[in-house]
Amino acid sequence: MNESTNEQIDEILMNKEADQLQKRKARFARGLVRSAETTLAELEENPDLPESMHYFINIMREVFVKDRAHRLLLPSQNQSANNRKIIGTYCLMVPEELIYAAGATPVRLCGGNYEASLAGDELVPRDTCPVVKASIGFTSLNLMSLYQMCDAVIVPTTCDAKRKMGEELSKFTEVWMLEVPHIKDSEGSRRQWLQQLYALKNNIEKFTGKSFIRRKIRRKALDASIKMIGSAQYQARRLYDIRKSSAAIISGRDAMFAINAYSYDTAFKWTKAMTRLNDELEVRCHKGQFICSEHTPRILIAGSPPIFPNWKIPSLIEEMGAVIVADESCMGNRYLYDPIGLTEKSVTDMMVGIAARYIMPCVCPSFAPNEDRLFRLLQMAEEFSIDGIIYHVLKGCVIYDFELIRVEKIMKGKNIPVLRIETDYSPEDIEQLRTRIEAFVEMLGIRKER
Amino acid sequence: MTVTNLRWMALIISFLVLILGGLIGLDLGGFLPVYACPYVGQTRGGVCFLFRLQFILGVGSWEAFKALGEHLLYFSILVVLIGRAWCGWICPFGFLQDVLDLIRRKLHIGYIRFPERLRANLRCIKWIFFFIALLIPLWVAYPLLAPSVAGDLRQPFCQLCPGKYILPLIIGNPDSVAVDFKSATTITMTILGLTFSTIAIIGALLKRRFWCPYCPMGLLLSWYKKISFIKLKKDCQKCTMCEVCYNVCPVEIQQVFKERENEDVTFTDCTLCLRCVEYCPEDGALRATFLGKTIYKSTSKGFFSRQHIIPGVTDDQVIR
Ligand code: SF4
Ligand code: SF4
Ligand code: SF4
Ligand code: SF4
Repeated sequence: MNESTNEQIDEILMNKEADQLQKRKARFARGLVRSAETTLAELEENPDLPESMHYFINIMREVFVKDRAHRLLLPSQNQSANNRKIIGTYCLMVPEELIYAAGATPVRLCGGNYEASLAGDELVPRDTCPVVKASIGFTSLNLMSLYQMCDAVIVPTTCDAKRKMGEELSKFTEVWMLEVPHIKDSEGSRRQWLQQLYALKNNIEKFTGKSFIRRKIRRKALDASIKMIGSAQYQARRLYDIRKSSAAIISGRDAMFAINAYSYDTAFKWTKAMTRLNDELEVRCHKGQFICSEHTPRILIAGSPPIFPNWKIPSLIEEMGAVIVADESCMGNRYLYDPIGLTEKSVTDMMVGIAARYIMPCVCPSFAPNEDRLFRLLQMAEEFSIDGIIYHVLKGCVIYDFELIRVEKIMKGKNIPVLRIETDYSPEDIEQLRTRIEAFVEMLGIRKER
Repeated sequence: MTVTNLRWMALIISFLVLILGGLIGLDLGGFLPVYACPYVGQTRGGVCFLFRLQFILGVGSWEAFKALGEHLLYFSILVVLIGRAWCGWICPFGFLQDVLDLIRRKLHIGYIRFPERLRANLRCIKWIFFFIALLIPLWVAYPLLAPSVAGDLRQPFCQLCPGKYILPLIIGNPDSVAVDFKSATTITMTILGLTFSTIAIIGALLKRRFWCPYCPMGLLLSWYKKISFIKLKKDCQKCTMCEVCYNVCPVEIQQVFKERENEDVTFTDCTLCLRCVEYCPEDGALRATFLGKTIYKSTSKGFFSRQHIIPGVTDDQVIR
């Protein structure tokens, strides 16, 4: 065989491969749109849906169904706005304040889609959790423009899977690893974390500058972005407080969804929408417009985060007649709970405050020891008058599963039942989960009657 | 009115009373647990306990010791009453440090924080000062050895104390900031004192409440923390370990946020300034009590108003 035929064969093969890839990608993309739209439609069907929820639903639709994330993140048509850098983040240890202060926009990329997790399947070991699979799937296949839009991606070294994910992602995009200490108590690790943040600040400054000129993060800009995110946190806390009422005013599905939408929106716009939602809910509260009675079992979702569009567990729980009043996930209550406390406006104090906020109160199980989480759960169980806990374990998420034993033990002391649910993003086990959740909710109902 | 403003008011009024009160004939006695330094001269409104302590020990007679007992009693009553709130709310030298701190803040210069190791190593300084104030006066009273040196060592800690040099200077009395050439002993002591004063001033510009961790008066006051009426308390379950209270604390007390078991979080260096309570973002995680009754507690709303995120919530609504 001569050389030219060889090349021809190679070319044909390559075309064929590319073709197959295209087909696969199209199939996944269709699946993604379908599953996202189904969840959104379900939310919209809810007769109790607060008016102001449509804003958040719209955000998710733009991102997942219409694939127009640029409209949210780069709203203005003028040139300077479109020069704005977009920086993708994972987990919640990446200080968005620094990104905003540099004139860039952060967007949180943790993936929650089944099709994307299938796409990522062959790039990672089988036992990897679906969050990582989906995130890699989204990036590698370019399933959504959102992932392509990011000029850089920051991956904190939290759990093993996320850490290795950073390495894998760097095949497709510019990745900056952010080293998060795993022991919070030691002074050394905290000092090192602060240094990491100063380095990150430097990186961002270089990245957002023009050619060789750094774009310095100014004191005032940093202060303003801390305040902006502080306002978002204040609103998130308001929602949190509203959910404490003895008869629920908003369903957990909706509340978690609204918080989740923060990932894809700019903090400023999100805060405005959240303020509207809170105002509306407060009016409902005054009017006594509850979505369920005081006897409805109140559930706390603990464990791995449910991430949109994987709304499987929240939907099932509420379909079975319980109400989710709180969750402790990094996509839900914990996402925007802990604020930055400042007493002065020096950059030093702001950096110290930022460093503290992103690890000290964080009860992610990638920290050890993580006693704080148990205290937090006890406090939540009390504040939200929790009747039962559904402990969500995403298949492959070892660290959350590890802490189950401790959680079960302390909750036993408080006489609060815990149900462990292990699942991934696939819809296959829904029927089986439904039966288990139904039984659990029923049991809680009976206990509550007594 | 926020607690910070209230505290500023208390500090300013106390400063005026203690340093200038003499002008209107005030005399609050010689057992005050703060730097009410008599070296400011006629205008003083009271006398620092350390001065009296050293003076009386230096006299060394039986009568003197009886007087000391009496002073100690009054001193103890004052300290039991409000604990180290004397430091956070009244001490003129504390006020001075807070003013320097305010200047630093207004210039947007960051503060320095010492590593834990260093802080632990420096802890001995206040003990050294304390023993200087306690033992040398006895030597002065019974100068068995080198009597000429002892004779020049009256009020030995005062010769080292920045209060002696800085406070008179503030009210426009520059005589204090001079080396005393009377003898080799006085020269050494005044030079040391001036050095400490310079360090204290520069230190207070760079580090919050720089001097307080080394102050022997603070050490004396801290011994009453278990029995004093004002206490700092924490609800460990409500605390999220967010570290805010540590970052806002002028004397950088870590234990408040690390505490996981005990309710009482009044630690040795705590000046009861209540800044941690003001800035704690969790409802009821921290509170100050007087004789067991809550007088002030942390709130989420208060936190956000202090961060200027929501319009001001005054502490009157919180104090109860
Ligand atoms: S010099 Fe210092 S210790 Fe002596 S009286 Fe003055 S303030 Fe008190
Ligand atoms: S510790 Fe500070 S505030 Fe207290 S007496 Fe000493 S100098 Fe004054
Ligand atoms: S622990 Fe609190 S009250 Fe005590 S000095 Fe620190 S901030 Fe002030
Ligand atoms: S500020 Fe409050 S919640 Fe935060 S660590 Fe201190 S006591 Fe705990």
